[in-house]
Amino acid sequence: MDELELLKKDWNKHKSDYKSYSDTELYPMIHKKSSSIVKTLFYISIAELVFWILISYVPYFFSDKMRARLETSYENPLFTGLTIFGFLIVLLFVYLLYKSHKSISSTDNAKKLMESILKTRKVIKYYVLYNLIMIFISIPLSFYFEFNQNIEFHDQVAGFDSAQMAVLVAMVVLITGIFLLLIWLFYRLIYGILLKRLNRNYDELKKLEV
Amino acid sequence: MNKELEHSFVELLQKHQNIVHKVCRLYTNNTDAHNDLFQEITIQLWKAYPKFRGDSKFSTWMYRVGLNTAITLYRKSKRRIYTQEFDALEFKIKAEEYDDTEEQQLKLLYKAVHQLNDIEKALVFLYLEDKDYREISETLGITEVNARVKMNRVKKKLKTILNP
Repeated sequence: MDELELLKKDWNKHKSDYKSYSDTELYPMIHKKSSSIVKTLFYISIAELVFWILISYVPYFFSDKMRARLETSYENPLFTGLTIFGFLIVLLFVYLLYKSHKSISSTDNAKKLMESILKTRKVIKYYVLYNLIMIFISIPLSFYFEFNQNIEFHDQVAGFDSAQMAVLVAMVVLITGIFLLLIWLFYRLIYGILLKRLNRNYDELKKLEV
Repeated sequence: MNKELEHSFVELLQKHQNIVHKVCRLYTNNTDAHNDLFQEITIQLWKAYPKFRGDSKFSTWMYRVGLNTAITLYRKSKRRIYTQEFDALEFKIKAEEYDDTEEQQLKLLYKAVHQLNDIEKALVFLYLEDKDYREISETLGITEVNARVKMNRVKKKLKTILNP
């Protein structure tokens, strides 16, 4: 006899083996807090939005020197333009995150549900990537502005010979690279742990289509 | 209105709660984990209930949300993973002293099913619940042909686990 047929015969015999919850027991259960990965993902995405916004604005509120410098920077239309662009990008990501979170539905089929969760994760990934790229661009850019506006720094750097200059450039690139790599690894770790099982199951379903 | 919705939901859940228990039975190995998963499925069902249109049977809808929770939404606790490893070890020992009586065979079969991956378990579950391939394919989001192919592979895999 087929193994599964034997199991099927037995499977439905156990109806009375399970605990039968009464109505009064079920009422409080439906209002308990969920611990689903969608909820965790939601909190992480909110934390990330807040984190990157704070990173850009905390210096403005905590350092007078920084505030004074930023205020003079706003006189530069390029800087103002970049700030407005930054705001618009954050708004765009908030909208995309809201939309993709809304599209996650436990009543979809298993594959579609997994795809909506992975899509949400992708939106967060692009947001992080955007921030990392901005950091990567802004570090050399701030060096450039510093070089042009800070006379002391300008004189110091202008006095460098080519070997010293190469070391300086290499140091800047290296420090930026290490910083970005660490942040990237940190994200891989968080999502790797959170979505390991989902990725495995999604691959299993995808494999069936080949 | 909300009270009314809650009342009708709890009534239906109470009536069909065995479906949730059966999902938990397949995806967990101990009572604590069973209760945890039962709790999470209940929350997910209630959250999705306002979207339940009644164009499918409540039970059919429950299979979908229940399996989605077990496979995708539920976060496994460490305790459970540990227990699973322990069970697999126990299975190896028991397989060596294989007895041909039906009861013994069933025990081994349940253990073998627990060793399948999440998707394979879902296939087995829907099969045991007498669902046809159309419903299996719709629940998992794969084609009917692929559901059949996968089911045959699962049967073979079970045979291999039982007769190493």
